[in-house]
Parts: sequence; structure tokens; C-alpha cells
Amino acid sequence: MPDNYEFEEEEFKTQVTGRTVNRILLLLKPHWTWVAGFLSMIIIVSIIDAYFTYLSKMIIDNGIIAKDRQVLVQLITRYGVLIVFQAACVLAFIYLVGILGERIRYDLRQRMFNHLQDLSLSYYSRTPVGWIMSRVTSDSERVSELMTWGMLDITWATVNVSTASIFMLIINWRLALIVFAVLPVLIWVAYQFRKRILVQYRMVRKMNSKITGAYNENITGVRVVKALCREDANLKEFDVLTGDMYRAAFRAAWLSALFLPTVQIISAFALGAVLWYGGLQVQVGWMTIGGIQAFVSYITFMMWPIQDMARVYADLQNAVASAERIFSLVDAVPEVSDRPGAIDPGTIQGDIVFDHVGFYYEPGKPVLADFTLSVRHGETIALVGPTGGGKTTIVNLLCRFYEPTSGTIHIGGRSYTNLSTHAIQSRIGIVLQTPHLFSGTIHENIRYGRLNATPKDIEDAAQIAGAHEFILNFERGYDQEVGEGGNLLSVGQKQLISLARAVLAKPEIFIMDEATSSVDTLTEALIQRGMEALMKGRTSFIIAHRLSTIKRADRIVVIDDGRIAEMGIHSELIRKKGHYYRLYTQQFRHEREIEFEPFQERLNA
Amino acid sequence: MNPPTGSKTLDLQATISPNRFVGLWRMMAGFRLSYLGATLSLGIAATSKTATYLLLRYFVDNVLTPRQFGIVPWIALGFLGLAIFEGVFTFLSGRLAALTAEGVTRRLRNYLFDHIQRLSFAYHAETPTGELIQRATSDVDAIRRFFADQAINVGRVILLFVINMAALIDLNLQLALLSIVVVPFIVVMSTIFFKKISKAYEAYQEQEATLSTTLQENLTGVRVVKAFARQDYERDKFERDNWEKYQRGKRLLKIHSLFWPVSDTLCGLQLVVGYFAGALMAINGTISVGTYLAYVGLIIWIIFPMRNLGRLIVQTSTGLVSYFRVTEVIKQNREILDQGGESPIKELRGEVIFTDVSFAYEAGTPVLKNVSFSCSPGQVVALLGATGSGKTSLVNLLPRFHDYTNGSITLDGIELRDLPRHYLRQQIGIVEQEPFLFSRTIRENITYGVEREVSDAEVEAVARSADIHDVILSFPEKYGTLVGEKGVTLSGGQKQRIAIARTLLKNPRLLILDDSTSSVDTETEGVIREALERLMRGRTTFIIAHRIQSIMTADQILVFEKGEIVQRGTHSQLSRQEGIYKQIFDIQTRIDLELEKELKVAG
Repeated sequence: MPDNYEFEEEEFKTQVTGRTVNRILLLLKPHWTWVAGFLSMIIIVSIIDAYFTYLSKMIIDNGIIAKDRQVLVQLITRYGVLIVFQAACVLAFIYLVGILGERIRYDLRQRMFNHLQDLSLSYYSRTPVGWIMSRVTSDSERVSELMTWGMLDITWATVNVSTASIFMLIINWRLALIVFAVLPVLIWVAYQFRKRILVQYRMVRKMNSKITGAYNENITGVRVVKALCREDANLKEFDVLTGDMYRAAFRAAWLSALFLPTVQIISAFALGAVLWYGGLQVQVGWMTIGGIQAFVSYITFMMWPIQDMARVYADLQNAVASAERIFSLVDAVPEVSDRPGAIDPGTIQGDIVFDHVGFYYEPGKPVLADFTLSVRHGETIALVGPTGGGKTTIVNLLCRFYEPTSGTIHIGGRSYTNLSTHAIQSRIGIVLQTPHLFSGTIHENIRYGRLNATPKDIEDAAQIAGAHEFILNFERGYDQEVGEGGNLLSVGQKQLISLARAVLAKPEIFIMDEATSSVDTLTEALIQRGMEALMKGRTSFIIAHRLSTIKRADRIVVIDDGRIAEMGIHSELIRKKGHYYRLYTQQFRHEREIEFEPFQERLNA
Repeated sequence: MNPPTGSKTLDLQATISPNRFVGLWRMMAGFRLSYLGATLSLGIAATSKTATYLLLRYFVDNVLTPRQFGIVPWIALGFLGLAIFEGVFTFLSGRLAALTAEGVTRRLRNYLFDHIQRLSFAYHAETPTGELIQRATSDVDAIRRFFADQAINVGRVILLFVINMAALIDLNLQLALLSIVVVPFIVVMSTIFFKKISKAYEAYQEQEATLSTTLQENLTGVRVVKAFARQDYERDKFERDNWEKYQRGKRLLKIHSLFWPVSDTLCGLQLVVGYFAGALMAINGTISVGTYLAYVGLIIWIIFPMRNLGRLIVQTSTGLVSYFRVTEVIKQNREILDQGGESPIKELRGEVIFTDVSFAYEAGTPVLKNVSFSCSPGQVVALLGATGSGKTSLVNLLPRFHDYTNGSITLDGIELRDLPRHYLRQQIGIVEQEPFLFSRTIRENITYGVEREVSDAEVEAVARSADIHDVILSFPEKYGTLVGEKGVTLSGGQKQRIAIARTLLKNPRLLILDDSTSSVDTETEGVIREALERLMRGRTTFIIAHRIQSIMTADQILVFEKGEIVQRGTHSQLSRQEGIYKQIFDIQTRIDLELEKELKVAG
């Protein structure tokens, strides 16, 4: 899908817009007590941090220099009590902010996931799975991080700087003004650094994924690499990648290394000025030794809040961009949804009519045009024809994964848009060309068809589908794990399990998108038997390649280029010597060759 | 700036040592001076910081107290000077450490990449791709962090401690000793804590992976979910996993919210005790006010960095584990490509003789048993047999992907084992049934493996010959179109034809074809066959055949069963002989008869 391009990680052009920030803040609303809790805790912690320095000053001036032991004991006691009190506040804010963060992550992920279940197939066909995955995983992470720790850090930093400023003003307002003059410079410099470092880190991440990609390709393609003696050339190419990586990583590292010293040196100017001016003020009695100590300390530790502010501000844009992507997902409107007053009639048995149905995925490129077909209840329809002719689209429309762009589909005499999607989809059994299983046991996978099924029901369904025997061959039988996406099973086995799943669902309409080459003859025969059992008495649509399946259908519909090219029963169509005839003879040779091939690989052997 | 390349050729296999620290030290070859410089700068920076507080002491005791205000400006300048000095060396240390870490890592990355592509097939066959990639990426990154962060920061904490402690002792021994009572507790406590937290974090990450799998399976299986109307079920399932992650995150937090306040309290109370003792001493006149001030400043730089030591110790141990995992790959021996130096063959004719060749992947289970046959230059040899009968193993011996265990294979009369692998592989072209293409442009895929500059005309000529030129022109970027995820998805037949073009351009004397057209639809089958025939012209060809049509014209057909040749001859000979070959061949004629009958019934 070439339009994947637009889904590549967007660069952070996003400006911080008020609307998005508002929406982010709204996410906090249900937890406002927690927010208030951690904010008040961090404010207390921050004020105490600044107050400690002031306390130190008093210890020097009022205790040591005044040689007053009583005051000293009093001040030290206050210090000790505040330490314990502050630690209690730290405990509270770590707990509050941390759990709130987890909670917001949890909420965001759940909200996205829930919404994703409602979105139509069209959304999935234009949005790569990887893109959605990073919204749910990393974007939710980033947004929650900003709203909790980010907010905490910025609060701590602001309060700390303000409180320190107040104490400095109290100690000596003239000197405080000197420090205030440097403050904006510090903040600006810190922000500039942060921004540049971020750019380099982004580059590092990009190079990192390229390097991983290069490893991946070279290892999976190692046979070709060796056969074509490409080792030296590959190394040369790889060296370019690691060179870029080296430059970006090194630049990020030394920018970071330059950052703190720069901030320190700038504040050292303030420190020098304070000592100079302050030292002279001691002369006239405007300044105490403790006061000088306090200023030294305030200035030395000023870099931490400033660094925090710069970091949070730089991260802010990042997180807002993440939030916007999350909102775009949550705001996506399902294209297929229940109309007001949609009903569930309890059954959808009855004739199915495609009435002048037209459909396109992209305007201007019709996939189906004026497609009309009526199917009697219980009939089996085989859909045949070249790939891309529109067979799968017909199935997608019938399942109401999509709705026709023109014309209507009637089920049991009603336009199917008057029914709820649940009414339709819960009564359709479908077996897909590439069977999809979920991690878990075989039992769980079959049970997916009917959640309240008993183990007996599940075994029966597997019997009908012809899966029972191979399942029993597994050490753990029905409790065998199928692996991620079923990758511990062969394609044929997966197909049989997905068939059993459809059997268990007792659908009223059965749809099979037949898999061909991936299954060996033995499994094919099993599938065939299972299908026949399922099709009995049910309206069935089979996208078929195998002649045996096609011949057994009540009606064969040849679809080509979005239209019905031919329709009828096998012998009629053969006599016509048209599309179907050609298809049939070709397929006949093909199947026979495979069938008689003594060396044919047997997946189930 | 150009990254250092001088020591890029360091053979890392020689640096491995059972002692991991020795191994890491050897791995640093060429960067040791920088690293030493980084450590030294760190020391200078730390000393400057300490000096700042000593200057403060001097300022209070010798300037403010005796009221000698004349030198105040010099003191102020002194503070500024020390700050600049500290800043410059802090920066220098960071930069040198980065230079080392990134340089060593780059060399390691390049070495691993090259090493992996030169490891034998036997190794690749038994090592999962994901495993190798993980060692080459995340484990390498852990080693990078070891150099960039952990090692240097352990040095930093120790230096800060030693230098500031020395200064403290100089100020007052009693006070100094009283001030570090808590240090051992802090170190032990933080080590235990970080060990615990990294375990809890692992559990958290594990759940994250589970959650991702659930999400991914839901997204890729969206049609199944919808078709069974299982949205609610899926929501519940996701919520369970999501909730479990929330719970594990909570556990993680509880550990955090205990450790930090407790260690804060410990450190804080230690400070207060020191302040109190110091203040009393100052009042008694045991120490000066300036000394007290210096003490208050210095002590912070001893206590708080210690808290980080636990983190560093735990992280260093994971770095060492990663080092071990990486050396496990480096330890493997490479396949020697140019052993024997120059090839003794001037002009290769392509005569291949197998004499009693046996081969086994594992001792005791032979895959080929006493295989003998010979083929003259330009002949076509077809290999027929079931999966696992030994056909593929046999052709893998030719480019020496594996070496035969017994017997002899000669090429133009020279034993294969004596020919350099590099030479052999240049002479052999392979077209597989599902060829591997790289995510590069089509042009790059065709010219892949050709060591010279190739003109556009030449590329187009081979593409025409492989009957893929017109298809390529139909793509938006023509020959510049990317293959794979970010570009066009090619069908099996198209991939095969690009592989044919690639091989044509390489122009080898020997050819190995895996002729399965199962992945190709009937229409393109003919096209591919023609392209293959053009490719085979004048080259000694081995065809792994799955069907009879493609081998009827072969000069020699070898039928394999369980690693042995059970039938041999040409098509006309074999089709008259009783045996497997004839059975297969007869089926062909039967099919035509059957079809005729079928159509008659229907008609």
C-alpha cells in the first residue's frame, strides 16, 4: 500500500494549539482530586526545598554567629521535622502521580481500543496496523507522562524558583535583582539546548530503526548475500549507516555534555556578581555571612528547576502531537454503523437480493457496478473469476463490512441497513482465505464461534470440521497453545480450526473464502467434508477455486471486472464455452497435476 | 567531523576474555586514552567544585570576618574562574566519554554485521533471526550505555566521594567521619532497591508485550472479530490485559514510593546530624564559620551521589550480561571465503563430477549417501524427488554453503574443497522458487552482487531477457521503484523474473534453479519457462524439479529417494523404464484423457 507514506511518523510540526491542550486537560477532569492531591504535595515539597536553604542561613546567622545554642537546637529540630514531613509528602506525590499516570494510560488505551472495535473495515484498509499500534502504545505513554510527571516537574520547578526568589528578596533584594536578571537568559539557553538535543535524539532513533532493518534484511537474506558474494559491499553500505548513527549519537551526547556546564557558567556570573556586591555589602552590614551562603546555594541549585522547565517545555510539543494523533483516532467516525431504529429481527433467514449494487473503495474506481443477484434461502452460490474481479468485495458487502455506494442489499425482504450490524454479523459464519487465530489454546479459538459452548459442543464442531483427529494428536489435545497468530500450527490446521469455529457459531449464512495452494490434498478433503456439513440448509457463498466445490454449488456466478460475466450450473456453463470453460480446463489440469504429484509436500503427514 | 576509522579493523574475536571487565577493556583498544582523559577531566571538574567551597571558606574566614574587603573582587573572579574551569572539564569529560562509547559501539556494530553475514549456514540455520537481531541491537546498546554512562558515572561517584572526603578530612576529621555513617546503608539499600525495581520493571514490560500481542491480533484479525460480532468479547479481553498492566505498574510504583522517601529521610537526617555537630563545633570555636560553610556545601556532594551508586551497580550488571551475549556471537568462527587464495582455474568450463559423496548435517543422520554422477560443461541435470530426499542438500554443496562429509566433488577436475568459496560463489547463479528481494529499488535488486558499474542499457537488456522489463515500466518509478513494504508488492512470478535478471547480469558458468511454479499462476508460467531457458543456454545447470514438463529436455535426470539416486537417465530412457519416473509421467497423459471425459459428461 503506497499511501502508507502519509503514516510515517510525522515530524513535529505541530504547534501547541489551545484546543488540543484543552482536550488533554479534560482527560484529567475525572481524576481532579488526584491531580489536586499530587499538585499540593509537590508544592509543599518544593517550598520546603527552598526553605531548607533559608533555614541553613538562619542556622549560620542566628545560631553559629550569634553563638546561641538554644536557637540552634530549635532550628535543627525544625530542620529534622521538616525532613520527615517532606519525605511523607514525597511518598504521597510519587504514589499519587504514578498511579494517576498508570490510570490515564489505562484509560487512553481502553478508550482507543473500544473505539477501534466500532470502526469500519474501511478505516483498517487505509490505516496500517503499525500506525494504530504506536498510537495505543507509545502515544498514550507520552501523553500520560506529560500530564503527570511533566506537570509535576514543571510545578516543582516553578514553585521552587518562585519561593527561592521570595527568600532571596527577603534576604537581600538588591542581590536578588542580579539573579533575576540572569534567570531569563538561563531559561532561554536551556530551552535552546533541549530543542537541539531532541532533534539529534530523533535522528538517533531513526538511524536505529534503519540499522535494525539492515540487520534484519541481511540475516533473512543471508543465502542471497552469500550466493552473490555481497559481503564487502554490504559492509560498506552498513558503515554509512553506522557513520550517520555515530554522528547523531555523538552530537546528542556532547550537546548534553555542554548543556549543564553552560548553564553553570552562566549562573557563575551571577554568583560572582553576588559575591562581589554582597561581600561589599557585608561591610556596611546589609548582608550576613549566612545570607551569602544562602545565595551561593540558591544559585548553584537553580540549574535543576531550569533544566526541568526546559525539558518539559520541549517535551510538550512532542506530547501534544501525540495527543492530536490519539484524538484523530478517537474522533474517526465508523462508516458503517446502525441507523436509528435499526432492529434485530431474531433471524435473518430468507432470500438475499443484491439490487443494482455499486461499490467503490476510492471514488472514480468502481469495483462493482450495477450488480444484481438474488439468492434463494438455502442456496449455495459459488463465486468464481479472476483475482481482483470483485468476489471478495461481494462478500465484504454481504457481511456489511462495507455498505454499497449505490443500490441496496435486501435480506429476508428488508433492506439490510434497517437491521443492526450485530443482527447480521452474529448470524454469519465466515472462513477466510488466510485463517486468523488468536493466541491461546485450540479450545479457546474454537469457542470464539460461540462463547457459551460446552467442551462437548466444541469437540462436536471439531468433529464436523474434521479437525478433531489432528487436535488429539497434540500432546495437550484441545489445550494445545496455538502460538501468536496461530504460528505453531500449519496453514491447513489453522484452516480446519477456523472452520470448526464457524461450525460452532451455527450461522444462518455461511461464507467461505476458499484457500487453495496452501493446503495439501488430505486436508483439502477434510475441509471439503466439513464445508458440506455446514452448507446443508444454509444460504452459502463460496469463493471457490476447487472444481469439486464449484461443481456442487447450486449456482455458479462468474465475476469479472465487477460484473456478472456468466451465471448458471456447471453443465450449462461448460456448454457455453466461455469464461467458465476456460477457467475450468485450466484449473482441471492444475489440480490433477498436484493431486497425482507423488512428491507433493504433505503438511499433515 | 569524521568518526575515527583507524582502529576499525580490530579483530574483536581476539578481545574476548572470560573476565568480562578485561574483555571490555580490550574492546576499548584505540579509545583508551580518550577514556582515561574523560576520567581525568572528571577528576579535575570534581576538584574544582571542591575548591569552590574551600574558596568560600577562605572568603568568609579571611575576608568577611577580618573585614579585609579589598580583595573581594578577586575572590568573586576566583569563583567565576573555578566555575569556568569546572564547566570546561565537565564538558570535556562528557565529550571524551561519548567519543569512546560511540566509537567503540560503531566498531562493534560494523564488526557484528560483517561477522554475522560471514557465519556459516549451519549457524544461521539453527539461530532464530530475532535472537541475532536482538543481540546485535539491544545488547550492543547496553554495552554502549556501559561505556557512555555506567562506567564513567561509577568513576564520577567514587571520585566525588574521594575528593570531597579528602577535603572534609582536611577540614575536620571527626566531623568528616560522623558525616558518612549513613553511606554504607544507602549503598546497600539502593542496590537492593534497584534490583527489586528492575525485576518489577521486567514484569511490567512483559505485560506490555502481552498487551501488544492482544492488540495486534485484534487489529490483524479485524474481519474475524467483526464477522463473529465479538467486539464486546475483545473489549473484555483487552481490558483484562490492560488492567493487569495497570496493576503491575502500581506494584512498580509502590516500590518507588517507598524507596525515595525512606532514602530521602536517611540522607536528610544524616545531613542534619552533621549540621548540628558542625554548628556546635563552630560555636565552640573548634572550627571556623568558613569551615562550617564549606562543610555544608561539600557534604551534599558526598551523600546524594551515593544514592545513585545502587542504580549504577545494577545497570552495570545488565551491561555485563549483554557483553556476554554479544561475545557468544563473536566467538563463532567465520566461514573462510578466500582460503587457498587465487583460484587455480583460469577459464571455467563447468564440468562437475560427484564421486561417492555423502553428507550429514548432524553426524549419524546422513542426508546424502554415496552419490556419484558426472556432468560435462553446459549440460542440464535435473534432480527429482520428494521433499527431504536430498536434492536441495546436494545443490547446497556446490557453492560450499555446506561442506560434504565424504567422497569427492570436482569442478573442472579440481577438488571443490580446494577452491575458495568466494570464487565458487561468483561462478554459480541461484534462482530460488521464492527469491528473496531486498527493500531497495528494482534496479538495485537486479545489480545486487555485481561488483562493477552497470549501465542502464545493460540492466534493461537483462530485464528484457527475463521478460520483466515491461512490468517494471508499468510501475510509477520504473526501475527506481522500491520493492517491499514501502513500494510495490511483487507477485511470486515477478520476483522470480527479477531474480532471473539478476542472475543473467551476474553471468555465472554454473546455474542452480529451484523450479517450482506452484506460487505462480498458469498464465505467467510459460513466460517464466522461456526466461529460464534463455538463462540456461550454455551454462551447466542443476534443476531442482517438482514437475516433469520442466525437465523433459534435461541431459540427465537423477531421481532421488532418501538421499540416494534410485533412477538416472534421460527422459526418453526413463519414460520407458519401470519406476517412479514413469509413474509420474503416465499421470500426465491420464489427465488429458480425464479432462476430455469430464467435458463430454458436462456437455
